[in-house]
Amino acid sequence: MVLVADDNEVAQRLCRRVLEKAGYGVLIASDGLQAVDLALAQNPNVILMDVAMPGMDGLEAMRRIKSERPEMRVVIASAHSMASDRERFLAAGADDVLSKPFRLGDLVAVVAKLTAKPSR
Amino acid sequence: MPLRTQSLVRRATPFIGIAAVFAVAAASGASELLAFPLFLIVVISSALFDDRTQLLAVGAAATLAILVLSVIHLGPTSNLATAVFEVAVLAIVAGSIHEVLQHVRAAEGTAERKAVDLETDDARLHMVMEAATIGLGVVTAGGRWLQVNERLAAILGVGRSELTQIGLLDVTSLRDRSAVGDALAELGRGEIVRWESEVQQSGPHGRPIPVSLAIAALSDNSIEPLLLVQVTDISARKRLDAMRDALVAVRQVIVTANSWDQGAAAVLGSLCTHLDWDLAQYWSVDAEKHSLHLRSSWRGDDSNVGDLDDPARNLSIEAGGGLVGRVWQSGIAAALDDLEANDYEQASAERRVGLRAEVAFPVVSGGATIGVIELLGREVRHIENDLITLLSTAGVEIGQFIHRAETAQALLRSEADHRAIYERSPIGIARISGDGELLEANPALLHMLEHDMETMRFQAWPDLLRAYDQAAGRARLAPMLAGITDQRSVQLRAATGGGRWLWLQLTATSIPDTSGRPEHVLVMVEDVTTVRDTQDRLAEALDSQRNANANLETLDRTKTEFLSIVSHEFRTALTGIQGFSELIRDGGLEADEVRSYGGYIFNDADRVNRLITDMLDLDRMESGRMSIRLADVDINEVVSDVVARAASTSAVVVEFKADLDPRLPIVAGDRDRLVQVVSNLVNNAVKYSPDGGNVTLSTRADGGFVLVSVADTGLGIPPDEIGHVFERFRRVRSGAAQSIPGTGLGLTIVKQIVEMHGGKIWVESAVGHGSAFHFTVPLAVEAATPQLRRHA
Repeated sequence: MVLVADDNEVAQRLCRRVLEKAGYGVLIASDGLQAVDLALAQNPNVILMDVAMPGMDGLEAMRRIKSERPEMRVVIASAHSMASDRERFLAAGADDVLSKPFRLGDLVAVVAKLTAKPSR
Repeated sequence: MPLRTQSLVRRATPFIGIAAVFAVAAASGASELLAFPLFLIVVISSALFDDRTQLLAVGAAATLAILVLSVIHLGPTSNLATAVFEVAVLAIVAGSIHEVLQHVRAAEGTAERKAVDLETDDARLHMVMEAATIGLGVVTAGGRWLQVNERLAAILGVGRSELTQIGLLDVTSLRDRSAVGDALAELGRGEIVRWESEVQQSGPHGRPIPVSLAIAALSDNSIEPLLLVQVTDISARKRLDAMRDALVAVRQVIVTANSWDQGAAAVLGSLCTHLDWDLAQYWSVDAEKHSLHLRSSWRGDDSNVGDLDDPARNLSIEAGGGLVGRVWQSGIAAALDDLEANDYEQASAERRVGLRAEVAFPVVSGGATIGVIELLGREVRHIENDLITLLSTAGVEIGQFIHRAETAQALLRSEADHRAIYERSPIGIARISGDGELLEANPALLHMLEHDMETMRFQAWPDLLRAYDQAAGRARLAPMLAGITDQRSVQLRAATGGGRWLWLQLTATSIPDTSGRPEHVLVMVEDVTTVRDTQDRLAEALDSQRNANANLETLDRTKTEFLSIVSHEFRTALTGIQGFSELIRDGGLEADEVRSYGGYIFNDADRVNRLITDMLDLDRMESGRMSIRLADVDINEVVSDVVARAASTSAVVVEFKADLDPRLPIVAGDRDRLVQVVSNLVNNAVKYSPDGGNVTLSTRADGGFVLVSVADTGLGIPPDEIGHVFERFRRVRSGAAQSIPGTGLGLTIVKQIVEMHGGKIWVESAVGHGSAFHFTVPLAVEAATPQLRRHA
């Protein structure tokens, strides 16, 4: 099961469409707080996390989730795609980084990679 | 022994005679009358030649002999009477003779003693005369020597026999001769009995010698009275007196003179006159200590020494050259009794002008020889060590004097310098007492503060003192009168007498008295107004520069931030565009799916396009490449148009309200741009009212402008961001506004357009209550009197 946390409706729809087609169950959160609640409640295998969200941003949400469930996989999917951003996100604890806009194959591959690995 | 034997024989002889006569008479039986004459002769001779004891013994012997003879030879009665008579005669004769002889002898002895005494006295007198340490002589009232002792001859340097050929007056110097002559005359007449004076005497060849001369009348009854002359050589005492006088005179000069140049001639003169030299010169060591230069000179009036003593000749002596040079080198006084006998090169000039004796001594100051004084005399002389010692002492004293005088002159000069500094200094200087009273203010201070001394003292200065203490207090410095010797400068503002305000810098320094307590305080007052002004201007310039830099930095930061925002916005939009177009491309979709995805793609593409348009617009406006085309525009129409479009397109549920002035004048503007302004403000109002609410548009005429307001009841702008909303790339990102998309350029573009029209734009806002944007547009020229136009 994959949790998609993104405030952008278009992105939500795209991810849901692609991941469901790939065979994953998809949960949608529209802001950070919602993402934390859903993550802790539903234990998704992978979280696809946007950064620029109203209220709690994606990084803060990831931090909170990781402090509760360190084994939970989080992919930061952000349109902040400068080189320094990628480093920043990995340093913040992301398991992988997906730059927006992304190829649909890349989205599926990163989720597949993380779900295939055993949880820590 | 022989003498004693002789004496015994002589003493015994009378007794032998008596015994012989007695024996003959007794043997012959002769009458004692016959023997009596013989006895008488013996007794008389004994009386004549012997002393009383011998006489008595001889007499007794003769009496015994007569008495025995008369008893032996005659009848006892008659003969005994004769014998007694004979004895009596014998005794009387012997006694008389003895008595007479005694008298004679006594008289003789007195005479003899007198003669011996006379002889002894004469010899003693002679001895006394000869042994006397003073010269003694006897002269007649005419002055002719009758007798002189050896000492007198020695003093006068004349042989004794020669001396007796001449008179007292002849050995007296010409100067004193008449005085002595008068004295002799008075003594001769008995008018005085004693005369004393110090005169100069000499033999015909010798140097005059100072002597103490005493002449006393000898009590003699002879017609021409004799006079005892006592001559004491006082040259040693005179010498010492002269040396003492010389030193005293030198000291007097150096006590009264202000400088060595002033006193030098007098000192040299005193040495010459008192010590009997003809020429004196002062040689000073030059600054490089290479040579001695003739600085001052003194000579007796009658001295003809040519130009030897002319300082103008700039004579110089090297170290070790001549006596003077040697004295300089050694620092020890030295003398030459006779220059003839000491052939130094330097001495040749002196000898040429007849100078024969020379003494030179160092002038010492601070342990170093700073000059040499040279005394020269015409006559060869024996220069005593004590003179050299004295001159050395004088040299030290003169050196000390020169040092003192130079120090004093330097002090005077420095005092004059200081005074000049004080008087002419451009810095104000005030001298104040320990309790703050102004004692002295230099001209610069009075000029600076535009006060006379009176108002300065009683009015301006106390004010200044207070201001200083306040300023010092603020700077945590001591008050001016705190007695701290090193105070830092304090700057304060003060008004001049003329009402100008100056920045003054005051530096107070307390000057302690000898006991170390602060006696008075010196205050330097500088007018630093110009400096302060410059500093202020500089600070302003620096500030603005700093602000400009800060702005640039902010701009830079904002640009970077903007790039990040723009790219984020682009990529967010592109995510949908790319993702859904990839889905469509890959196929296998339902027709309604394709339609729906196409709508997403279109919207995001439109958004990207808007972003690009905004950026380009702003760039054109800022670079001045966009112009506005002014035409008559009815703002009410613009507003209505925008509202209509917004209401039809917006998904957000806000209620639009319009409060349009029906008599609104026409403005001069670019309609498309004004639409852009109102549209942007309306879109913002809608965007920032996520929970719905009212968006009210109003128009109103305001002077030469039309005022347009767009008010919402939305999120509002936090106070710390309201000042920046018109800046490029600044967006309200806090709280609920964070997720509201935007380029951050809209309001910047709006402001540019309004200002290009000659209007203004501003905003009022309260968080939670909404925001109201207002802008003005100038009226069209022909609309200046809108009422007329509207009513026409």
